[in-house]
Amino acid sequence: MKGYLGVDVGSVTTKLALLDENEQLIASIYLRTQGNPVNMVKQGLREIQKQISPEVEISGVATTGSGRYLAGVLVGADLVKNEITTHAVAAMQHISDVQTIFEIGGQDSKIIIIRDGVVIDFGMNSVCAAGTGSFLEHQAERLNVKIEDFGGHALRSENPARIAGRCTVFAESDMIHKQQLGYPLDDIIYGLCQSLIRNYLNNVALGKQIQPRLVFQGGVAFNKGIIRAFNEVFDSEVYVPPHNELMGAIGAAILVHEEMEIKQNHHKSNFKGFGVSDVEFKTSSFICKACPNLCEISQISGNGKVLARWGGRCDMWERVPES
Amino acid sequence: MRVGFPHFGNVYIPVKAMTRRLGAADGEVIIPPPITQRTLDLGVKYSPQEACLPYKLTLGSLIEACELGADTLIQARGTGICRLGYYAKGQEQMLQDLGYNAHFLTLDVSHNKFISIMRLIRDMSNNIPWREIIPAFFFGIGKLFALDKIEKVVQKVRAVEVEKGTASRIYREAINAVDEATESKEVKEITKEYIHKVIQVPKDPVADPLKVGIVGEIYVVIEPFANMDIEVELGKLGIEVERTMTLSRWIKYSLFLNYLGVDEWREVHKLAGPYIDHDIGGDGWESVGEKVLYAHEGFDGVIHLAPFTCMPEIVAENIMTSTKEDIPVLAVTCDEQQSKQGMLTHLEAFVDLIGFRRRKREHGRRV
Repeated sequence: MKGYLGVDVGSVTTKLALLDENEQLIASIYLRTQGNPVNMVKQGLREIQKQISPEVEISGVATTGSGRYLAGVLVGADLVKNEITTHAVAAMQHISDVQTIFEIGGQDSKIIIIRDGVVIDFGMNSVCAAGTGSFLEHQAERLNVKIEDFGGHALRSENPARIAGRCTVFAESDMIHKQQLGYPLDDIIYGLCQSLIRNYLNNVALGKQIQPRLVFQGGVAFNKGIIRAFNEVFDSEVYVPPHNELMGAIGAAILVHEEMEIKQNHHKSNFKGFGVSDVEFKTSSFICKACPNLCEISQISGNGKVLARWGGRCDMWERVPES
Repeated sequence: MRVGFPHFGNVYIPVKAMTRRLGAADGEVIIPPPITQRTLDLGVKYSPQEACLPYKLTLGSLIEACELGADTLIQARGTGICRLGYYAKGQEQMLQDLGYNAHFLTLDVSHNKFISIMRLIRDMSNNIPWREIIPAFFFGIGKLFALDKIEKVVQKVRAVEVEKGTASRIYREAINAVDEATESKEVKEITKEYIHKVIQVPKDPVADPLKVGIVGEIYVVIEPFANMDIEVELGKLGIEVERTMTLSRWIKYSLFLNYLGVDEWREVHKLAGPYIDHDIGGDGWESVGEKVLYAHEGFDGVIHLAPFTCMPEIVAENIMTSTKEDIPVLAVTCDEQQSKQGMLTHLEAFVDLIGFRRRKREHGRRV
C-alpha cells in the first residue's frame, strides 16, 4: 500500500499526517516542538512508524510550516510548501463549500479567502503574538488554568470582561487590573478570547471579504471559548473540521500525492526512510563577514556533513558543498 | 568640493560616468559604499521611527558618504509629492547634529526637472561650459538606458532559466562592464553583447511562466535592497516580472518628453479614472492605474510595494481592493522590521494562488 506523508513543523507544535492513496488519514501524530524541531520530526517519524503496518510504502513526503525547509532536509521532502497553501488545500478537500478559512496557530494566524475552489486572497500575521495561541497559553499560565480547561471556563462566562487586545503587553496589564478588581475567572477568560478575536479580525482579517462557509482550523480551534467568540461576531456558525490541528500536514500530504501521482511524475520519493530518526543532526549558525550585511547563516549537518544552509541576502552560502 | 549622494538603484553609474568625463579629480565625487545592513542600521538609528524606508536608507547612505569625506550632498526636493519634500531638510538637520557640516544641493523633482538638474550639475562643476556638460550628461544617462534594457531581458529569463541565478549573475557582470565603459559606442556594444548572453542562457523549453507586474512607490520598487530582491526571489519561483517604473523611463519623460507635452502616465491615469481621478501624492495614482493596466494585459498578478507608513500607497492599496478588474494583488510592506523569511512565505503562497487560478481557468482544475 502506498502512503503519502505530510510534515507540518510549526513554531509551537509539530504535526505529521499519513494518507493512503485515497487520501484517507491512516496515521497521525501531534507533538510540541519545544524549540527543537529536529528532535520532534525524528520522534514524529518514530511514532508514525509504530502506527502503521510494514506494508505501507512512503511514496511521497512533503513539509510545511515555518520549519518546512529544515524539516524538508531532514526527511528528504519531495515537496516543500508554504502553510497558507497547505491549509487551503486541506480545507477545500474536506469542506467543498468553504469560502473563508480562519487558521490560528501557536505563533501566527492566517485568513484565507476561497471562491469556487480557488484561493483568491489571504492574509497572514507572522510576527505579532497578540492574535495567536501562545498568547492564550501564556495568559492561562498566569491565571493558573490549564489551557485544555480554558474553553470550559469561557463557556460559563455571562459578563465577559473587556480586555484590551491590541498588544499582549496591554492585554496582560489590563487582565491583571481586572483580576485585582475581583472579576470572576470565567469572565476574564472569555474576555481574553474576545480580545483575541477582536485583534485577529482587526488585524489579519481587515478588509477581507468574509463569507460563509466559515471554517476554523489550527490548534486554537480546540478552544471552545474562541469558537464562541467567533460565533458571536458572525451570523453563520464557524465550522471546525475533524483533525483541525492536522490540516497543514494533511494539505501537504494531499499536494505531494498530486505531485507524485496525478502529474504522473514517476520519480521515486526522496524520503530518507524512518531510519532518519537514528541519524545525528546538528544545527548551528554563524555570521558571514564577507560584506557589511553581516547575514546570519544557519546550517544543518547530518553525521558531520553539511546538508543545507539558509539566511543569506545573497546566494553565496546557498550552494551546499557536494561530497 | 566633495560631492556625495545617496544610493538609488544604478544612479551612481551615470554620476560616475559624467564626473569622469568632466575631468573631476579623485575624491571630488564620493560614491558611498553599496547599501548594506550597515547603511540601514545607520539610517534607522538616526531617523524618526515612523519615517519611511526610503528616508532611512538615503540618510544611511548620506552618512556613509560623509564618513568618506563628502561636504556637499545631493538630495531630491519637491512640492506636493509626499514626505520626500522634507527629506533634505530633515536629513541636513540630522547630519549637522551628528557633526557633519555638509551643504545640501537639492534637485527639484516636481517642477522644471531638466533645468533643475542642469543647474545642479553646473553648481557642482566649477562653471564648466554647457558644451561640455551636455554631452557628458548624455553619456552618463546612456548607461542607465543600457542597463534598464538589459534588465528587461533578465526579468524574463530569470523565470525560465534551468540553473537559477545565471541571469542575475550575468546582469551583475553587465552592470560592471557598463560602469567601466568610457565611450558611448562601447556602451552600445556591451549592451548588445550582454543581451545576447542573457538570451543564450539555457532555458526550460516547456515553461510557460506566470507573469506578475510590480507597482508601487518608486524607491522601493527600484532599489533591490529596499524590496529584499523581490524580483530575484520571484525569478527563483519561476515568475516573469515586469515593471514600468525604471530610472531611464523617469529620465526620458521627466527631463525631456514632458516638455513636449507627452505625459507617460496619461493612459495609466485614464485607467485609474473610475476609481481615482487626481494625484494623491507619491506614486499612489499610478499604482492604481497600473493595477488596472496589468489586469487588461492579462497578467496573472500584481505585487504592490509600499514603504511602511507611506500615505499615498496606503490610500492606493485600499482603492485597489475595490476596483472591478479581477487580478490578485499582493501588498508587500517594506521596512526594517520586515523579515525576508516572512516575505518569502507570502510570495510562495501568492505564486500558488495565481498558479491555481490560471490552471483553474485553463483546465478547470487546480492541478
